[in-house]
Amino acid sequence: MSALFAPTLAARDRRFGYAMAAPAIVVLAAIILAPVALALATSLFDYTLMNMTFDRFIGFDNFVAALSSSEFANSMVVTTLFVIAVVALEFVIGFVVALMLTTVKRGKNIYYLILLIPLLINPVVVGLIWRMLLHPTLGIVNWLLGGIGVPDIDWLGHPGTAFWTVVLVDIWHQVSFMAVLLTAGLSALPTEPYEAARAEGAGTLQTFWYITLPLMKPVIAVTLLIRLIFAIKTYDLIYIMTRGGPGDATDLISYYIYRSAFARLNLGEAAAMAILLMVIVIVLTLALFRTMRARG
Amino acid sequence: MAHIVLDKVTKSYAGGVTAVDAVDLEIRDGELMVLLGPSGCGKSTTLRMIAGLETISSGDLYIDGERVNEKDPRDRDLAIVFQNYALYPHMNVARNLGFGLKLRRVPPAEIERRVQETARMLGIEALLKRRPAQLSGGQRQRVALGRALVRQPRGFLLDEPLSNLDAQLRTTMRLELIKLHRQLGATIIHVTHDQLEAMTMGERICIMDGGKVVQVGPPADVYRNPASLFVAGFLASPPMNLLPAAVVGSDGGGLAVRVGATTLPLPEEYLQAYAGCRDRSVVLGVRPEDLHEAAPALPQITVAANAVEMVGPEVILVGTPEGLETEASARLSRAFRAEPGDRISLGVDMRQIHLFDPATGLAVPRPDLGFEPHRR
Ligand SMILES: Nc1ncnc2c1ncn2[C@@H]1O[C@H](COP(=O)(O)OP(=O)(O)OP(=O)(O)O)[C@@H](O)[C@H]1O
Ligand SMILES: [Mg+2]
Repeated sequence: MSALFAPTLAARDRRFGYAMAAPAIVVLAAIILAPVALALATSLFDYTLMNMTFDRFIGFDNFVAALSSSEFANSMVVTTLFVIAVVALEFVIGFVVALMLTTVKRGKNIYYLILLIPLLINPVVVGLIWRMLLHPTLGIVNWLLGGIGVPDIDWLGHPGTAFWTVVLVDIWHQVSFMAVLLTAGLSALPTEPYEAARAEGAGTLQTFWYITLPLMKPVIAVTLLIRLIFAIKTYDLIYIMTRGGPGDATDLISYYIYRSAFARLNLGEAAAMAILLMVIVIVLTLALFRTMRARG
Repeated sequence: MAHIVLDKVTKSYAGGVTAVDAVDLEIRDGELMVLLGPSGCGKSTTLRMIAGLETISSGDLYIDGERVNEKDPRDRDLAIVFQNYALYPHMNVARNLGFGLKLRRVPPAEIERRVQETARMLGIEALLKRRPAQLSGGQRQRVALGRALVRQPRGFLLDEPLSNLDAQLRTTMRLELIKLHRQLGATIIHVTHDQLEAMTMGERICIMDGGKVVQVGPPADVYRNPASLFVAGFLASPPMNLLPAAVVGSDGGGLAVRVGATTLPLPEEYLQAYAGCRDRSVVLGVRPEDLHEAAPALPQITVAANAVEMVGPEVILVGTPEGLETEASARLSRAFRAEPGDRISLGVDMRQIHLFDPATGLAVPRPDLGFEPHRR
């Protein structure tokens, strides 16, 4: 009997479910899908802030222009270097912190709190604070360094130093993300294999290499991918601290897209580059989901 | 290979739990010692302290004469089989088995050879490529055992290594372990709560209760002369019958045990040993196999049958002796038949009885007359 009613019941349930979700879907479509569609359209037209009309369809010309511009190439290189530097350093530091945290017995929550504070600060505020701290003549960092005889450093004003300064500030801001995720991963590891390894005579390094690292692989993959996706989109820090400069030393792709749209007023090309960036991020996100699903 | 001595070894956990309480135990070089005891009595904790995985709260541990309390597990060179297996989840069976050898920088070809050999002995060759999650409980246990056997350590610490195997496999593995022990002459400490395993495997067994050692000795000795009510009631199934009784004087200057409505004369050989119990209450211990049907030459006790259980080669009669509330069991020949409620007269082999002091729970010492078939 109940089998007879089941399909209709399930169908009713499903319809009710859609009805309940509808408002949220509509809102999401309005604020995410519509802009993306609009950007996609814009990227195919000769659309500038001087001439804001969809009257000249130019196919993939915007993409061609972007891909053949040396500025775009530069920003891709800078972004790649930035992402590699930031993710790699944050991963190494974060893992070391996480490993040390797992041996802490008392006051763990205090360490967590300290770690979380930078993460809770808005990136714009982070940029402003560090711009003040690193000010070449008025900043406290140079003053302190002066105390031990280091001459003033022009942290953000010199192409060679600016890139690494931004990297360091980003590390300060985001390293806890890695540390917290990896700590959670470490504390979820089974303890038995460690005992077995100890009994079989494994040393600290061997235990790390043969037990911890392989067991952490899924957590590491997910952590790296999430951080990678966010690092590629870095914008606020650059906007506040360097405006892509000096020269084009810190011209990350997001910031370059912003400049194309609102300084060079070429919305069509900016949209094309944004679409390219989106494709990269989507590919990485799919990789992330696959990694997470593969590990159940 | 390894001579292990525990001197007042104690383990207390935070919160006042004393898991192991001043254990004195000597495991001779090349000996197979069985640790036997009820759940929670501290067997695993003792083993883990010997392995170096658990710190020793007080007391000393010596291996080959050297005090090793603070020594790292790897320098003790003992292989342990964990009660919970503790396999490496990310390695397949072959790598699980070979990991300890790899750590010791054994050449890969040699590792491969030994892994194959061990896997063959344990019947897990077909599983070498699988991960622990893809194995059944018994298969995992064999891998855990193999991980210890593949090495040639100074000694083996086995924490219930056969508990999860089916009866047949358990028997096979038991024989394999005994064979291995003979071949290698390795020191083995084998934890179990399987009595049969303890009786058949151990050269000596150490019975623990509540973190303390209550008796150590060859299985037959412990079986014949349990040192306390605990050991008497713990060992064997069904265990020794323990009946409230009193020692009384009998005509002609002898002694007798009064159990309920029955009075059983004590053999002459025990008169001196049990003289101190005269007119005191005691606990009478009689093994079920020392009660015999149709044995007119022996002192008789009458029981009211409650149940008769057929267990293959024999029959277990459970009944209440006259004048008692406590039940007793008897192992009788398989031809024996009775209905519940029948009154049955059984002969008691008084040369095999024990008396225990109900206050201390300890056996009253008496001469051991050895096994001798009773006279019908
Ligand atoms: N980490 C711990 N903290 C507190 N008490 C513990 C801890 N580990 C074990 N114990 C206690 O110590 C006692 C002995 O434990 P142990 O594991 O040695 O028992 P066991 O004889 O191996 O039992 P089983 O036959 O069930 O394996 C138990 O009462 C247990 O509750
Ligand atoms: Mg145990």
